[in-house]
Amino acid sequence: MSAVLLVGTGQVGVRAARQLVDTPGLDRIWITSRDASRAADLVEAMGERAAVHPSARGPRPQLPDGVTGVAAATGAPEAYRWVRAAVEAGVPVAVVVDDGFGELEATATERGVAVVTGCGLGPGLTEVLARHAADTFDVVDEVHVARVGAAGPACIEAVKDARRETPGEWRDGAWRTDRAFGPELLWFPEPMDARECQLVRNGVAACIATVPGVRHATSRLGAPPTVGRFRRGLGRDPKDQGWGAARVEVSGWRDGRAGSVVYGVVDRTAVVAGVVLAVTAAGLVGGVDAGIAVRAGVRTLGEVTAPVPFLTELGRRGVKAAVFEGVVPH
Amino acid sequence: MKNLRRGLLVAFMALLAGIVVRAKGRSPVPPTSGGWRELEGPELR
Repeated sequence: MSAVLLVGTGQVGVRAARQLVDTPGLDRIWITSRDASRAADLVEAMGERAAVHPSARGPRPQLPDGVTGVAAATGAPEAYRWVRAAVEAGVPVAVVVDDGFGELEATATERGVAVVTGCGLGPGLTEVLARHAADTFDVVDEVHVARVGAAGPACIEAVKDARRETPGEWRDGAWRTDRAFGPELLWFPEPMDARECQLVRNGVAACIATVPGVRHATSRLGAPPTVGRFRRGLGRDPKDQGWGAARVEVSGWRDGRAGSVVYGVVDRTAVVAGVVLAVTAAGLVGGVDAGIAVRAGVRTLGEVTAPVPFLTELGRRGVKAAVFEGVVPH
Repeated sequence: MKNLRRGLLVAFMALLAGIVVRAKGRSPVPPTSGGWRELEGPELR
């Protein structure tokens, strides 16, 4: 029996719930949230295979009996509590949060539990696309990822935090922060088109883990969507309300010749993140064949995913990646 | 009163300057050579 516990009923959680329920290989879906009434409403909408699991306020929440996987669509510190609980119960877990799980590495490895972090648009799908692009080269020199958009209020705050932090990039085997960084105009698939994106540290570690040996890796984030009615009225693009896009540029050497590949994706940010999280969780419990390798320890999505079956499954669920053809725009 | 008037004048000029800069700053996106195509078929094998 395959049964998944979904934690969180925010923008991503709602989308992930629908995707989990629509996965025939899953027998049972429990939903838990700090907002019990919202969890109950969501369960009612999801049908008879879904059930509410009561949320625990303490440091050690209990998993339902018979659960075989956890999908955590919630931010810190809630995500850490549930991931820790899953590891202690020996249950594999997929989580949208991408850092702060280092202390669980030893326990997860010792207990043989897979913890897949950063299961969203970026980090997440961006690393799968980076791996897919890297597989077309003999040697990979550079990986550059960029994202615009945010799923919900928590995600918007995370983007703001990431843009406030000291930026960093990976170059020649070491972190570098000694450059004067400014925003760069990057092209995303239509209708997002050109957006100014700022260099950030967030997401670079996932790139390095996904494409080991890469010489130069960077991550960029666009300005977060504005949520205030007054600021929204000052000329912001309406696509910022819920839409998101990611862009992955990989360059390297193939048959002795230099080249580069640019992949992109555009959709509702919450939809992409929900699909990525649900497919990863379902893949971990064997509910769907999405090329997810169940490897003990804390891993990024790019590390454990075979890109082709994963992207095929995403495409089947309506999230389709694109490739840029032409002169690579910077 | 004089200070208030002076302040209002400065605010008005700042507003005008903001409008001019905003209007002038709306340049079209530079053209790119190429386009995006959905990944399909052999690219997903």
